[in-house]
Amino acid sequence: MNRQATVDALGLHERASATPERAESARPPALGSAPSWTEGKLDLRAQQQWFAAIISTPQDEPAPVDARSATRLITSSATLSPLERIDIYRRGYHARLIECLVDDYPVLQYALGEDAFEALSRRYIARYPSGAPSLNYFGRHMAEFCRAEPLPEPGFAADLAALEWAIVLSIHSPTAEAIGFEDLGQVASERWPAARFRVNPSLRILRLEYPANAYLQAYRQGQPMPAVPGARPTSVAVYRTGRSVWRLELEPAMVTLVESLGSGVPLEAGLSQVQASLAHETEQEIAKKIAHCFQHSVSSGLFSAILL
Amino acid sequence: MANRFQLPNLGIGLGLRTKHYSTILEQKPAVDWFEILSENYLRTEGRPLDFLDRIAELYPVVMHGVSLSIGSTDPLDRQYLSELKALRDRCKARWVSDHLCWTGVAGKNTHDLLPLPYTEEALQHVVDRVRAVQDFLGAPLALENPSSYAEFAGNSMPEWEFLGRLAEQADCALLLDVNNVYVSSKNHGFDPLTYLSRIPLDRVVQFHVAGHTDHGTHIIDSHIGPVIEAVWQLLAQAYRRSAGAPVLLEWDAEIPSFEDTHREALRAREFIGAEA
Repeated sequence: MNRQATVDALGLHERASATPERAESARPPALGSAPSWTEGKLDLRAQQQWFAAIISTPQDEPAPVDARSATRLITSSATLSPLERIDIYRRGYHARLIECLVDDYPVLQYALGEDAFEALSRRYIARYPSGAPSLNYFGRHMAEFCRAEPLPEPGFAADLAALEWAIVLSIHSPTAEAIGFEDLGQVASERWPAARFRVNPSLRILRLEYPANAYLQAYRQGQPMPAVPGARPTSVAVYRTGRSVWRLELEPAMVTLVESLGSGVPLEAGLSQVQASLAHETEQEIAKKIAHCFQHSVSSGLFSAILL
Repeated sequence: MANRFQLPNLGIGLGLRTKHYSTILEQKPAVDWFEILSENYLRTEGRPLDFLDRIAELYPVVMHGVSLSIGSTDPLDRQYLSELKALRDRCKARWVSDHLCWTGVAGKNTHDLLPLPYTEEALQHVVDRVRAVQDFLGAPLALENPSSYAEFAGNSMPEWEFLGRLAEQADCALLLDVNNVYVSSKNHGFDPLTYLSRIPLDRVVQFHVAGHTDHGTHIIDSHIGPVIEAVWQLLAQAYRRSAGAPVLLEWDAEIPSFEDTHREALRAREFIGAEA
């Protein structure tokens, strides 16, 4: 199967100091009451903890504030009450993080539908609040999160999330150029058995229960897709060369070859592992498959160096 | 006249956005300088840095952050500061800026620029932290006045007094965002010219302009659309009374083509005269 390029996703979770406009979608604040520790004079830390607790409370849950207690924290303006002013930040907090997850998981959003994805994102934000200065890895728990969520087909959603997250990781992995056949041609034949190969540092091989890569490709090409495709185990390599992110479905022998060479064993030992995995086939078929796997791995750019 | 920190007036710049990468690298347009969002290039080893390296070879770069959280009562994040310093050295950033705000507390980051109570307690807290950051960076930090949508009931001074005293006591630089002055003046009901007249303009090493969204009851600092006339006029007022500093346009939502964005930035010339 030919490798498929992922459209340029460089704009992933690009940060800005702006307040997201999505924050203005109307949603009445769900109010609770102020906890007892907010009574009396509040020092700076207490004010920050209260403010943060209010704005990070899920918007459909009661926040630790009510109309009366809010006036102890925030003043009113000529047009807005203290609660309405705090609520601007509350909406902004959730909107910014939802935008981040939409950036990371556009196909999962498509598969679930916008409303279901937003609801999933809100639960995710509550479960995994950010603690890092960068949002680059905020969405890293989505695959495991999907598996445990009451979604129509959590296994498929998890596979799709795993595939999209691998794309994100490949963008943030170190850049490496691929070796080609011309590089192989410079290796003396007696050195081949001991040659080791460095796999592309951005490479991740995913073992999926569902054909998530085919679904993602159909989405990219605007083709019709079933709501949830039937289960079909696949292995997919996700990696980047230069500015391009690639997805490549791998047959089992190729997975064995790439993973064994990636673990640092010499070529001879790696090929032996592939041979052992194909023991049920004829010698001729084995030789043919090994040659194909190796050539396909090289031509697809899975290796970044030969170590002699 | 140079600013107090002898930092260069780089001219009229643009916020570097991924949408414009290709145009910049392929056409190498005549832009005075770019401002990067620091966090877009932290915690990554990959493609964003590849682009930044190439752009930093072609243009002067300034770093603008959103996660320093200078007002937080959590300890300063030393790892973040180390990463910031390494990025500065990598792209040879002329200076580093962030916002007068806090972004999180108790180990959580809201990724929003949250308002500070303007009190003596908060002032001393932020002064100490700005000094620590400047010591760590070995260079002045430029702090930007934020847009805000809420004011603390415990405030004992206006923002301009807090910012001015902070700058003097911590001996830091200022990034004056005249759009933020405008937005906050409408949200809180003060005269933006009073703001401009009360802050130490000789400490301003950079100006920001941007678009915003007026919702009637309040204004959101959305960085969308062109800069409105009133904001340009504030830039003119501030620039005339400053020592002269580079001007940067921020445009972060519904970003137009590079040419249109740059054209909007260059409108600054009409309001700051020929100096830049």
